[in-house]
Amino acid sequence: MSRKQKSPEGNGKNGVVPAIRTFNLTKVYEGARASQDVRALTDLNLEVQPGEIYGYLGPNGSGKTTTIKMILGLIFPTSGHVEVFGDGDIGSARVKKRIGYLPEGAYYPDFLRGEEILKYYGRLYGLGGKELDRRVSAVMDQVGISHARKRLLRSYSKGMRQRIGLAQALISDPDILILDEPTTGLDPIARKEIRDILAGLRDAGKTLLISSHELLEVELICDRVGILFEGVLQRQGTLAELLETRDLQVEVDGWKPELAGQLPPKGITLEDAVGGRARLRMPSGTGAEAAVALCRELKLNVASIMPRRETLEELFVRVVKSAKEESLAAAAPAGEDTR
Amino acid sequence: MNQLVGVFRGPWAIAVYTYREGIRKRTLIGFLILSLLVIFGSSFISAFLDPTSRTDIELKLIKDICVATISIFGALITVFTSASVVPNEVENKVIYSILSKPIRRWQYLLGKFLGAQLIILVNLALMGILFFAALYIRQGVMPTLLLWALLLTYFEFLILSAFTFAISTAATSPVLPTIGGLFVYITGNLTEYLKDVQNRAGQTGKWLDDLLGQIAGILYDVLPNLQNFSLRNQIVNGMPNDPPTDVLIPNLMAYGLIWAVGGFLLAWLIFWRKEL
Repeated sequence: MSRKQKSPEGNGKNGVVPAIRTFNLTKVYEGARASQDVRALTDLNLEVQPGEIYGYLGPNGSGKTTTIKMILGLIFPTSGHVEVFGDGDIGSARVKKRIGYLPEGAYYPDFLRGEEILKYYGRLYGLGGKELDRRVSAVMDQVGISHARKRLLRSYSKGMRQRIGLAQALISDPDILILDEPTTGLDPIARKEIRDILAGLRDAGKTLLISSHELLEVELICDRVGILFEGVLQRQGTLAELLETRDLQVEVDGWKPELAGQLPPKGITLEDAVGGRARLRMPSGTGAEAAVALCRELKLNVASIMPRRETLEELFVRVVKSAKEESLAAAAPAGEDTR
Repeated sequence: MNQLVGVFRGPWAIAVYTYREGIRKRTLIGFLILSLLVIFGSSFISAFLDPTSRTDIELKLIKDICVATISIFGALITVFTSASVVPNEVENKVIYSILSKPIRRWQYLLGKFLGAQLIILVNLALMGILFFAALYIRQGVMPTLLLWALLLTYFEFLILSAFTFAISTAATSPVLPTIGGLFVYITGNLTEYLKDVQNRAGQTGKWLDDLLGQIAGILYDVLPNLQNFSLRNQIVNGMPNDPPTDVLIPNLMAYGLIWAVGGFLLAWLIFWRKEL
């Protein structure tokens, strides 16, 4: 099949055409000599479903921005290709009209008013006249800066500038939004507000691809995540699929400080204790009944049992650490050969 | 027709934005203010001359200063503008949010190039108006020759702009294209001298002499001849309402346009698959 043709409907999961799909996407930045080539991305098979928020994670230099630039047609794959709603003609006006993009740390000119910058971006979509005015008002309402539409951008706070960035990405009412670090550098209130806007966009049926280092933000808002390391997609799935339920957290009554010495032999960790109440973490793999039994042995009354799920940050660190170790192990014999 | 308008709506929006942003650049404002001050100040040159000297010498001096000012500051504004409109947008990442919109790369380049032309034209017009007024007040005759000179000067700047713009699309900062643009401006105004060097080369029989002759010959063939666009001698020595002589204005305009289209095509060739 030609890359410029549209894929047949239903080639994705559950018969739904993915909003974004990459096929063995590989990017090598060529240096002056072959030894200076940098492999930024290797055989990436990314799938973002319509109507979901996809968190695209990875350490600096892992290939996130390279992927986004290839989806937008700003750089070109060494091999493999990208499809947007089954359309492989990346860079065409048809595909670009379906995507809104917020680059990381983009500059917006200080001398323009909020509405002027949005009108400029709107004109690039061929919008004009009343339709353009209507869209500008709509997106300013959507991101909550209608009150500042006549103000010069130089008077905007950082959070408001980020909203202008979001508004320019939304100006054509695109189906897909690609956001590069949308909450970086914002205060907690501005982050919460941006998060609420993004959740609202998902509820309105938009697809969001968010590249971010803010793992807590991603965990709070994303439906699925992909973790990239050294250009290779290490994990991809829903948070429920990826995050392990690690152990049980049990709150007990009847706690006495002298019991502390009896915990380590049983593999129990004391997390917190106040008066006669304590919070204990059971050994990994312990079931609820076994946890209750362990507490009874210590003559403690169980007040509550909570499964403790791994956080996204823990998953991220675990995945990156294991990928790093694998990478080092793979490189070691090669390094010895060259000596 | 509507489709055609649609194709150019994006480039025009980019051009207007580029113009609005460009006229706020401190360097350009500085060049413009300085040039206007020199043109304005030249009217008071008589204070420095011998009171017994003839007024036509004073007038010639004023004309000479003004022509040189427009030429030098106009070229500087042209080079700085054309060298920075694209690299600046790459540096501050604005280009990503623009090229992710349904804008083709040639449309983007066309918008930036047109925006640069608007800046150059407005600056040239401001300098020209002041010079025009100074001449009219002094001589009481409409200096129509100056209008022709300004027209030709713009076409000279158009060539310079297209060359600088082409270099800028390959660069990551405005420094290299600025140097390239100034090189084109200087050598383009020395083409007759280059021909002379080429003709004289080989007389000493030394290899360096031959090499310099060959380099001068290549530069003469490759670079546009910007000297053709100058009406300086006629403006300084002639009457202000004389028709331009010894120049074929339509031919020069066509010459300028051809070089400009060539420069723009070169820019597009560099930029259309450039990794951003």
